[in-house]
Amino acid sequence: MPSGHFGKFGGRFVPEMLIPALEELEVAYESSKKDPEFKKEFLDLLKNFCGRPTPLVFAKNLTEKLGGAKIYLKNEGLNHTGAHKITHCIGQGLLAKRMGKKRIIAETGAGQHGLACATVAAKFGMECVVYMGETDIARQRPNVFWMEQLGAKVVPVEYGNKTLKDAVNAALKDWIENVSDSYYLLGSVVGPHPYPTMTRDFQKIVGEEIQNQLKGAEKKLPDYVVACVGGGSNAMGAFNNFLPLKQVRLIGVEAGGRGTKKGDNAVRFKGGSVGVVEGFKSYFLQDEDGQVMNTHSVSAGLDYAGIGPELAFLKEEGRIEFESVTDKEALDAFKTLASFEGIIPALESAHAMAYALKLAPKLSKKEVIVVNLSGRGDKDLFIVAEAFKDKNFYSFLKDFLKNE
Amino acid sequence: MNNISLRLDKLKIEKKLGFMTHVVVGYPDLAGTEKLVLMMDKLGIDFIELQIPFSDPLADGPTIMKACEDSLRSGTKVKDAFDLARKLSPKISAPLLFMAYYNTVFKYGTEKFCKDAKASGIYGLIVPDMPIEENQSEGFFEACEKNGLIHIHVISPASNKKRLLINKKVARGFIYVTARQGITDAKKGLDPKITQYLKEVKSVFDIPLAVGFGISSRERVNMIKEYADIAVVGSAVLDIINENPKDYLKKVESFLEELKK
Ligand SMILES: Cc1ncc(COP(=O)(O)O)c(C=O)c1O
Repeated sequence: MPSGHFGKFGGRFVPEMLIPALEELEVAYESSKKDPEFKKEFLDLLKNFCGRPTPLVFAKNLTEKLGGAKIYLKNEGLNHTGAHKITHCIGQGLLAKRMGKKRIIAETGAGQHGLACATVAAKFGMECVVYMGETDIARQRPNVFWMEQLGAKVVPVEYGNKTLKDAVNAALKDWIENVSDSYYLLGSVVGPHPYPTMTRDFQKIVGEEIQNQLKGAEKKLPDYVVACVGGGSNAMGAFNNFLPLKQVRLIGVEAGGRGTKKGDNAVRFKGGSVGVVEGFKSYFLQDEDGQVMNTHSVSAGLDYAGIGPELAFLKEEGRIEFESVTDKEALDAFKTLASFEGIIPALESAHAMAYALKLAPKLSKKEVIVVNLSGRGDKDLFIVAEAFKDKNFYSFLKDFLKNE
Repeated sequence: MNNISLRLDKLKIEKKLGFMTHVVVGYPDLAGTEKLVLMMDKLGIDFIELQIPFSDPLADGPTIMKACEDSLRSGTKVKDAFDLARKLSPKISAPLLFMAYYNTVFKYGTEKFCKDAKASGIYGLIVPDMPIEENQSEGFFEACEKNGLIHIHVISPASNKKRLLINKKVARGFIYVTARQGITDAKKGLDPKITQYLKEVKSVFDIPLAVGFGISSRERVNMIKEYADIAVVGSAVLDIINENPKDYLKKVESFLEELKK
């Protein structure tokens, strides 16, 4: 199999003008992997800048309430900037520095990856341009504000359906025009080779930590690891270490949105089909002509028509199972987790939680589910306040506007 | 013999700079695309690209992207491109090419796409996001060749010597050279080092050079003509359509006449 392919998925389907840049990146990445200094600096930053390892906490109250499997929560939300994304941003930022690049380009959906990029760019003294769909800007203003505070330039993308895929297109175009001095910091295990492999490699520390931490707590492997799947970076991070350990069941949770109607969700493994978009072959939500369709999810980070090629491969191999939960189930899980365990999750992560809440009661008390909580919920303040129709929050906003 | 090759031979014998123009199927509407192609052929344009609109056109700038979006919004289907080619090809002498993104080809079925394209009077395919390395598993070039279609390769100022040589091995018909490292956009200037770069490309390839991206005036045609065999005019035509929704046909016609002078 040529590098960058996962079975029939993956690859590097880009215009010739990007091939030299991707080759340069691949060479730099391969050489960094062999460099102990690189690894040392990466791990040092993860520990001292990001706060790794993130805790694995036993969800005692939920476990007792549901009366089934033991639930453990991998709290990736305690990472600096609030989500797992900072991990691969540190890795790729170090690579950009190693390659002598001065400018970082990024796309963002929820704003979480953009925020992490802006943070890394500030830390490493680089310029940062973040592309973000107009629809996402409208629903994730707090992250836009923070990116700007960190010195990044946030560029609204006004075409397509104005969400993540359009931001990826815009960022790739910027990169095509500025390959010599710019580094494209792609935010998930998607895109052309070597991104899916590289991003997974930086994220795999999450699964390694889970295995170690659970060994300490339960002296066993997890029976289930559950993670939400947008592009798939937090899921691949949590799953990678367990891939050879067949007794561990791996479950990816997609965004069921408002329901099963076309355009109302982002469930690639029911509504989607194989295609080649944004430089890689995988499952995409597309029509019979191959036009990429609109998607919907209450969580911007899962609102994406494509899915990482390795996940597509592992799904076909039967190694990873996929489920979906609706907007409403995710919002309910958000509330449940907050009130029973004192953790406010990102809405993306609430999808993984929602599935675990359904799964746990069906299992025995001896079994263990690890839920990867990819992020914390601070960024979703406005969406959650709107979803719960919180009157006091609205009157606060009205008063806030009076101060303008 | 493929009509693209015949036309290339003719240009060589006549020692004339060839012209390739570009339209987006269904922009401003299907009837308009048809009229544009007939007019271009009448003006003696040598090759005409029919771009099949795609939702995520990676290599295209704002002008073509907007045209694709408008066309898709008004309901253009991939089938319409084949129907249009079938309707136009018997009426014109310029060979038609499809420009498409690989997902369009793949989703249609690579083999079937090539077969139906040939049957509709198409002579060549330009699929910019189908690089040589991926062909091994996709078999796209073979499907083209089996059906008598020429697959046109696109290179750019970022293509180093190694890439040029790799492309040389598989390139057929003519090589499409972008005059700028970037996406399609008529408003942007040419690379200042354009002539030096074209000279290098010319020294590598034995087949003719088609130079595009930013060719929007007689002056820019003059800048490239010493090293180019074909000038490609893409976004500039769409810009005119965009700015003159009522009388775009006349405006495009006089623009192309002026370029060809
Ligand atoms: C907190 C959080 N979780 C999950 C995701 C989804 O991305 P991925 O599937 O790559 O982990 C995002 C994306 O922005 C996110 O912010």
